[in-house]
Amino acid sequence: MQTSENGMESTNELSESDRHILNFLDSMDSYLILMDSLSSALRQGWLELASARHSMGASRVSSALFDLKSHNAPTTLQVNNAGPDVEFPHFTLCKWALSSDPEKRSEEAKFEEDEMLQNKSNSPRLQHPELQESKAEGGGSPVTIGNQAQKERLKSLSMFGALVSPKLRSTQLSFEKALEALVEISNVRASLLCAYDQVQKDLKNTT
Amino acid sequence: MYGFEAMTFNIHGGYLEAIVRGYRSGLLTAADYNNLCQCETLDDIKMHLSATEYGPYLQNEPSPLHTTTIVEKCTLKLVDEYKHMLTQATEPLSTFLEYITYGHMIDNVVLIVTGTLHERDVQELLEKCHPLGMFDSIATLAVAQNMRELYRLVLVDTPLAPYFSECITSEDLDDMNIEIMRNTLYKAYLEDFYRFCQKLCGATAEIMSDLLAFEADRRAVNITINSIGTELTREDRKKLYSNFGLLYPYGHEELAVCEDIDQVRSAMEKYPPYQSIFSKLSYGESQLLDKAFYEEEVKRLCLAFEQQFHYAVFFAYMRLREQEIRNLMWISECVAQNQKTRVHDSVVFIF
Repeated sequence: MQTSENGMESTNELSESDRHILNFLDSMDSYLILMDSLSSALRQGWLELASARHSMGASRVSSALFDLKSHNAPTTLQVNNAGPDVEFPHFTLCKWALSSDPEKRSEEAKFEEDEMLQNKSNSPRLQHPELQESKAEGGGSPVTIGNQAQKERLKSLSMFGALVSPKLRSTQLSFEKALEALVEISNVRASLLCAYDQVQKDLKNTT
Repeated sequence: MYGFEAMTFNIHGGYLEAIVRGYRSGLLTAADYNNLCQCETLDDIKMHLSATEYGPYLQNEPSPLHTTTIVEKCTLKLVDEYKHMLTQATEPLSTFLEYITYGHMIDNVVLIVTGTLHERDVQELLEKCHPLGMFDSIATLAVAQNMRELYRLVLVDTPLAPYFSECITSEDLDDMNIEIMRNTLYKAYLEDFYRFCQKLCGATAEIMSDLLAFEADRRAVNITINSIGTELTREDRKKLYSNFGLLYPYGHEELAVCEDIDQVRSAMEKYPPYQSIFSKLSYGESQLLDKAFYEEEVKRLCLAFEQQFHYAVFFAYMRLREQEIRNLMWISECVAQNQKTRVHDSVVFIF
């Protein structure tokens, strides 16, 4: 009786260690695929940047035009550290300053609309994106969020001029994709290291 | 009187026309481009270019080379040739040659103003300016806060002064206003250049009208495509189109309301010269449009050399050299990024 109980326990331990090894291998596989995806996105982005410079001219796409004024980062990274309920840290990308509070978005839009009306003139103007946003209801619908993200993208590109080539927009998307891959790699790496620790523990327990 | 240029042109323009035709024979050939496209490193490109007229400009550059260094040195060669022609030219050829550089002047003004708005160092911005567009008081642009000051402090004494009448306001300069200013200035410049060439009459007027009309039409298409998805209104977009060219005025009416690339295609395919350009693209695609336009431009510029006794050869030469420098830039980038399979995406062969 005791022998069978011991046998069942060791069978359970083996299954547990197999599961840990499989987790580790899965994480490793995901990690390698994401690294390849990152490399590919970065290669694509750099070539598209060269193509945009070829199309628009070197004076329009240049590091000399980067904005050195203080401004809020359009994209931020949130880190949830490991704790009692969380095995490993988790990274979340908050893209394009999308606030989770609809009221806050409406207030900001109204303030910028007032500024826009004060600066109104007869010369041709690019209507400020927030003028359109103030008409939209704050509700966080996918269409609204998509439009907001698109407007933030155009705002980021405006340091190269308000009318940029589609090639520069493709470049932005490629680097955005690379950034997403990078954050995903961080998450996978965290789970990979956790799985590795588990496997190490299992090896020590069996020896 | 058109057709009688042969009687008098060579008195003042013969020497420089011979010079520019000599310069033209130094443009890179398809064989040169084939060699360059097979290079593995930027040093290989430097080695191949050392056998061309660019050799003296690159020979003293140390390794490792950068793509911007290659472009900078090749541009220096163009600037030297231009300055030689300008110093030898008499009126009205000297004014004609100066007109060719006003586009670069506009780009430099916008670069300085934008960079200053972004709190960049003026010296750093001056280094990035195109040498053909430099003028004495360009560094003073950094102190202007709005367009009125820009005009009053600096630009009133430059050749760009007449082009500012349509965009002087007291509004503070921001990214949006600067873009409008850029396009408005360029529109005024193209129209002014067009009128000047018309006054020259003869073969110069005929050939330059065609080249400048193509430039105006291409700008209209680029403005349309670049403004898709932005908040630029239809009326404001139409104000940025030049008041001449094959597309003026009915093509402009259609382009002003386009919301995607396929609508632009529909508007342009009504004009036979542009139908052939858009026929090279698949539906929904705009990536190869630049190359298609460059190829058409190069074809027209090369045809300018088929006729003698006119000034358009100078304009054509400058544009062909700029295209060559763009080709070298693209080849260098593809080699530096190890993307040689993509080299033929943007190289436009001249011969």
